[in-house]
Amino acid sequence: MAAPPPNGNDWIRELLGPSFADERITNGPAREYYVPVEEHEFVPAAEALCRYKFVLIGLFACEGFSDRAPCSLFSVFEKKEHILILIRHVNGHAASVAGLFPSASWFERECRDGFGIQFDGAFDTRRLFLHETYPDNFHPLRKSFRNQPAGEEIPISPEREYLFRVVNGEGVYQVPVGPVHAGIIEPGHFRFSVIGETIFNLEIRMFYKHRGIEKLAEGRLPDDGLRIAEAVSGDESVANTTAFCMAAEKISQIEVPDRAWYLRTILLEMERIVSHLNDQAGMLVDIAFPLGANQFAVLREECVRTNGRLTGSRFLRDMICIGGVSKDISGSALDDLVVFLQQFRKGYRVGLKIVLSTTSVIDRFATTGVIKKSLLRPLNITGPVARASGGNVDVRVNHPYGIYDRYAPPIKPLRDGDVLSRFTLKAAEIMDSVDLIERLVAEIPGGEICSSAPVKDGYTLSMVESARGQNLCWVWIRNGRIDRYKVRTASFCNWLAIEHAIQGNIVPDFPVINKSMNLSYAGTDL
Amino acid sequence: MVNAITCLFRKKVTGGSPVTDDEIEMIGRKLRCEVDRVFGHSLAIRELDTGSDNAAEIEINNLTNPFYDVERFGISFVASPRHADVLMVTGAVTHNMVVAAQKTYAAMPSPKFVVAVGDDACNGGIFAGTYAVLGGADKLFPVDLKIPGNPPNPMEILAGLLALMKKAEGKLHQDP
Repeated sequence: MAAPPPNGNDWIRELLGPSFADERITNGPAREYYVPVEEHEFVPAAEALCRYKFVLIGLFACEGFSDRAPCSLFSVFEKKEHILILIRHVNGHAASVAGLFPSASWFERECRDGFGIQFDGAFDTRRLFLHETYPDNFHPLRKSFRNQPAGEEIPISPEREYLFRVVNGEGVYQVPVGPVHAGIIEPGHFRFSVIGETIFNLEIRMFYKHRGIEKLAEGRLPDDGLRIAEAVSGDESVANTTAFCMAAEKISQIEVPDRAWYLRTILLEMERIVSHLNDQAGMLVDIAFPLGANQFAVLREECVRTNGRLTGSRFLRDMICIGGVSKDISGSALDDLVVFLQQFRKGYRVGLKIVLSTTSVIDRFATTGVIKKSLLRPLNITGPVARASGGNVDVRVNHPYGIYDRYAPPIKPLRDGDVLSRFTLKAAEIMDSVDLIERLVAEIPGGEICSSAPVKDGYTLSMVESARGQNLCWVWIRNGRIDRYKVRTASFCNWLAIEHAIQGNIVPDFPVINKSMNLSYAGTDL
Repeated sequence: MVNAITCLFRKKVTGGSPVTDDEIEMIGRKLRCEVDRVFGHSLAIRELDTGSDNAAEIEINNLTNPFYDVERFGISFVASPRHADVLMVTGAVTHNMVVAAQKTYAAMPSPKFVVAVGDDACNGGIFAGTYAVLGGADKLFPVDLKIPGNPPNPMEILAGLLALMKKAEGKLHQDP
């Protein structure tokens, strides 16, 4: 089938059937389409969308959205520039689509934990972010639940313990790793089933860091949401606050001044450079090549210090605000940035040459941790991980925001999908980001940096391309306060790819594969 | 071949330090003296993340980059709590991490010290009083030192460690 036409609702009818009349379809401020569906219409609609190669990029619940039922389920489907959100009003039960869209499995388990919705026909009904210490029938995202310290912890008895997939057979043994790891990294549990040295199966268990971000945002003023969005994942502060602010701005029809968007874009790209450098250094540490790792570690620290000089925060915090940016960056500071980037580019090329001309590096990187292209759509794999496996996905191009329509980054996907592809792809993206920042500084207009308009009520979806991929958030502001802040970072979906990438590899290669995918635990666990 | 010969006969030196930051050198030298005196030349730190937004870990990780390179001051980050003198805790303590955090602390040999790094670890930060977190690190174990910040930068963490040395000396003398 050809791509659906961009205008009108005909393409929706073509996909879902003639019963979807215009009056059933509403258009959101971010050009997303909302279609309420009955429960019996949902599965056929999902099947049609699956046939037409739509990707399920989000599924979340929200209370009080409709008078018809206590809870509404939003299923967000995406294909290229089209976003279709099917809304189901549910009363405790809903049909699972995890069989059609495997990315739904974690989404549905998340909704079940948060709201107590049962998904009929789901292949996995274990709890997700609520671990054993939480009592049964505990659903913190329900409006009736007051956000206060829980009572006594439930002691973990053997029958309450989480059931991992069991792999039996001669010579198969289990290697449990985590949640506390050997390095300075975040907590998560990995259960390897190993034959000899080769990994036969890996199951990951996350959410050790579940700190209740979404509940925390409930009932807060929109401005308080900024600090919460920053806390989603420390090294994606700019991306997540930008997504949140874009949602608030679209809902309230706030025009962000051009200068603010230039500054935001510079910060977004700086964040990407720092993040990619961190991965590259980490990947080289994990294959015991400190000479190469330190090249990137030095450059990274220099970038972080530059960030500190530009904004007063090494993590670029407190810069993005609703309506623009909170602080201007002076012309001389921007000129210094360009001087720094020129130096940086030279240093980076030296480092890259050292690394890519070392045979032991290529030997460890090439053919390690392959992610097949066929995995991308079912699991909604995005970001550099997808682009290194032949995926043509980038929010900056597919759903341009801010000034990215004028400054679209070149997407140059690689095909192999191994660690080496991810490494070289990130190297190319760092160079592209440096070029982009230089162009932005050269062309940045003067003028206001923030438009102060009141935030209105409404809801919308907003997406940003963070260093890790597609970060999505859905914000509903009601009576001047945040009613629902649903955030889904790229890592939430990308994590599942590691279970596939690791199969057939050896245990000692796990750290480098993990690092090459650059997954945020904090951004997943919320 | 020419390359191999050059490699053989070239003077073997490590590269120079990327920068010499007087501030780091000064605090590092003090720290080196104190680590030598109080901890017998080496301080082993185990990092434990109980629910941070990952910024604090990144800053702790940065302590090992060539700019700071704390290993030259006698400080090492170790892979097991069984080898650690100090537990460096980041993030508010989530309910899901309580058991793992308790086990980590219990695995450390005495005398042991706990340092909370970042606002969330100090008092729970913005998550204090919510359903998912217990609060700061002091809700789980005695905290010897708190280094506030969102997150504290590497220099602040180093300054904190220096303060810990003074405190640790007192505590070590009290212990029989």
